[in-house]
Amino acid sequence: MGMGAEGGAKPGPDGYFLRAERITKVYSDGTVAVRDVTLELRPGEIVGLLGENGAGKTTLTKVLSGLLPPTRGRVVSPRGPVRFASPREALDFGIGMVHQHFALVGTFTAVENVALSHERPLTPLKLDATRAKLEALMAESGLKVPLDVPVEKLAVGEQQRVEILKVLSQDVDLLILDEPTSVLTPLEVDELFKLLRRLRDEGKAIVLITHKLREVGAITDRVVVLRKGAVVGDVSTAAVTREELAQLMVGKAVGTRAERAVELSTDEIPAHGSHGHSERGPGVLHVEGLSVAGTTKPIAVHDLTFDVYGGEIFGIAGVEGNGQTELVEALTGLRPALKGTATIHGKNILGLDPRQIYKLGVAHIPEDRWVLGLVLPFTLAENAILGVHRWDQFRGPLSVLRWGKINAHVRALMERFEIQATGPNAPAKSLSGGNQQKLIVGRELAKDPAIVIASQPTRGLDVGAAQYIRDTLVEMRDRGRAILLVSADLDEVLALSDRVAIMYEGRFMAVARPEELDREKIGMLMGGVGVKG
Amino acid sequence: MTGTGARPGDRLLRGVHRTLTGLHPAVESVLAAILGLLVGAVLMYIWGYDPWRAYWALLKGAFGGDYEIASSIARGVPLILTGLTFSICLRAGMFNIGAEGQMYVGAAASICVAYFSLPHPWHLVVGILFAAAAGVLWSLGPALLKLTRGVSEVISTIMFNWISRFLVFYLVAYVLVDPRQAQRTVRIPLSARFPILVPGTDLSAAVYLAVGFALFVYVLLWHTAVGYEVRAAGLNPTAARYGGISIKRTMVLSFALGGVAAGLAGAATTMGLPPTYAIISGLPELMNLGFDGMAVAMVGRNHPIGILFAALFFGGLNAGGRVMQFYGANPVPLEMVRVVMGAIVLAMAIPELARVLPAVAGAARGLVRTLSPKARKEAA
Ligand SMILES: Nc1ncnc2c1ncn2[C@@H]1O[C@H](COP(=O)(O)OP(=O)(O)OP(=O)(O)O)[C@@H](O)[C@H]1O
Ligand SMILES: [Mg+2]
Repeated sequence: MGMGAEGGAKPGPDGYFLRAERITKVYSDGTVAVRDVTLELRPGEIVGLLGENGAGKTTLTKVLSGLLPPTRGRVVSPRGPVRFASPREALDFGIGMVHQHFALVGTFTAVENVALSHERPLTPLKLDATRAKLEALMAESGLKVPLDVPVEKLAVGEQQRVEILKVLSQDVDLLILDEPTSVLTPLEVDELFKLLRRLRDEGKAIVLITHKLREVGAITDRVVVLRKGAVVGDVSTAAVTREELAQLMVGKAVGTRAERAVELSTDEIPAHGSHGHSERGPGVLHVEGLSVAGTTKPIAVHDLTFDVYGGEIFGIAGVEGNGQTELVEALTGLRPALKGTATIHGKNILGLDPRQIYKLGVAHIPEDRWVLGLVLPFTLAENAILGVHRWDQFRGPLSVLRWGKINAHVRALMERFEIQATGPNAPAKSLSGGNQQKLIVGRELAKDPAIVIASQPTRGLDVGAAQYIRDTLVEMRDRGRAILLVSADLDEVLALSDRVAIMYEGRFMAVARPEELDREKIGMLMGGVGVKG
Repeated sequence: MTGTGARPGDRLLRGVHRTLTGLHPAVESVLAAILGLLVGAVLMYIWGYDPWRAYWALLKGAFGGDYEIASSIARGVPLILTGLTFSICLRAGMFNIGAEGQMYVGAAASICVAYFSLPHPWHLVVGILFAAAAGVLWSLGPALLKLTRGVSEVISTIMFNWISRFLVFYLVAYVLVDPRQAQRTVRIPLSARFPILVPGTDLSAAVYLAVGFALFVYVLLWHTAVGYEVRAAGLNPTAARYGGISIKRTMVLSFALGGVAAGLAGAATTMGLPPTYAIISGLPELMNLGFDGMAVAMVGRNHPIGILFAALFFGGLNAGGRVMQFYGANPVPLEMVRVVMGAIVLAMAIPELARVLPAVAGAARGLVRTLSPKARKEAA
């Protein structure tokens, strides 16, 4: 177990594909995101890149793939130093990257996006060849996407699959995947990993960023741990335990959240029941016969009827793209319903606009944080009041915003949800993915609503932060709030929910208590096999 | 727990960085101005003029004394307002090219006060309200077309500019015409004029109105919930809708506010000028002030405070240009000033202008490194 910056077995002089040499990256606002990192990537090896939110994982991989120039240090290949002026050059060199925030053209279909990524200047797009290639890849990887729909119309999980397929279709030697699994179901993850193993055996170098220690153990050969931009561990996966990794990530930090992360490292999500149960209260959300048109199909939600009660977490599990997005949008005023009724505390919500729905006590954590959840060029403070900017506490006479109060509120949020940023005036786009998620979740939970409609609430959060959010949701449930939880993370849904619905093609295949379902049955239901419950 | 680093050097580094990036927009505008002036100089040189003498004349004509400074400010006043029209709508996510036409109708409406009399401040106030109302009405056309029929505001505002242009031509020639002098409208009486601040110049109290309105827009956009909604809708309409903001409302509101600004610009070019002025047929005093406002908005980075400075700069170019064209043995025609303005606007469109410098430096360094014998030895 090598603990230095350069650990593990030293390969021969040409045994590596790419080497980062003493890379430091300072952003224009002065944030030192990556600090003196030396890292070697070798063919036939899957390297897990681990670290808390904001540790510098995305930044480091962007430097490796030529998207960002390093402030100091260099990237070298056996043929000498490399410097990419564009991702295109990096791709030509053999480096492909799955971005945490996808690099897709929204108005293009999956086929067009992939064809575009292969495009050479002045050559026609090879749409037919691309389609054939994609179909083969989809069959092989088990990642299915609609090929002929503009990708902006797809659910986030589907976009994730397109992004992965795009990079898989490029014949690269180094594959960098930045949190590819955060919105995939366990089955999809298994399929993806099978494919990655095969690619490794073919001699590709692979870098995988994930917050799930289980995945690190399952697939990586070597783990590199970043903390505050610096490499604090570079070890063979076989030689290290999950606790040791978790401890490396959080360092000597004390505090319940850090300790919890280490404690959870073996189990990640405490099993169902450890949260206890609370008394189910009166009905909050009542949905009856609701049908909603989809972006990609004429009907995405079919005639759904269900209730969510106060003091209850109602989970919806399923593969992304089975109507979850449309259901949530219909309930939050973002999409019209075709028929049916939906009420909150007996008041109709269909046909209302989001503002009116929020007034009834609804908080909405959207699945797409870049499109819906944040105004990226806005500052942290401006984003923290999106949707609550008309609250009396933030407004003085003549609707003048009280920035003093707002900033105090933001500082409290930053403290409570451990949002790492230079301050309330940092632009939201300068936050790391996980910290952006914390900002949204924090903003919504701070409303102390009657019902939380949460889509993928812990997407991209590190172990400690994710558990804090889960604990907060449970705590809100215990105070009698209703929670509608939509997540691709099956473990999370099963662990948190008092009742779980399995959604497939717009219908609930089953609604049951989590202990009544075993994973195998769930897997079948999510695939559309099984009796309607 | 904030910030990534706890190392001692980081704070200082971060401070320096932040100051530099904070200045970025201003630096870029200044660079664009310099680039524009350089292009102008090159062109003058090619055409056989002496750029140094010309710019010297321009500078003296713009800021060489109290009279010149006052004239430059006076020329900037309507540009502040038309610049605001463009910026407000751009902040709301729309490309409003209609300031020109809205300003015409505003100016024509303000002439109407000549047909009745009122005591001094009230007559002026009524005129201002007339102009603002006319500007708003004219802006609502494109706004409603967009709202109800989805007509692109770019197309509709351009069309409305033409309609308003010929409408006002007509009004000036046949309706508001002075019976004694057919080439101009009736004169607005003193009771409805902004007091002149510097005698002998065009600088009137209208400058307070323009600056006041700019400050008002700043406060509105950055310090009220309404302005927050406008900016959110402009930057990410989907997220704004998610945040409970009505895009239709912010759209109409910003168009109307832009209309007010443009209408006031019209008032500034009628009631804001010395008593002898009236609208002359062909609208020479008004022509292009709306379009120049777009240039001012760009150089001012679509920020009300930036627009104040940019308007002063453009006002200076206009005022100084007039001096330049009579200066010396081989005077430079006024059109040259417009070339400079065009070049500045083009330079503004170069993305990340200020970043170009370090990039050029970096490229040069790279070149030197590859060419130097030491580096070549290393590579071998
Ligand atoms: N464009 C930017 N400008 C300024 N600071 C930035 C920018 N992008 C990232 N940062 C900062 O750099 C640090 C590292 O960010 P990075 O995105 O690399 O983290 P990460 O390890 O990928 O985290 P996550 O797990 O949340 O995705 C963070 O403190 C972040 O705020
Ligand atoms: Mg990241």
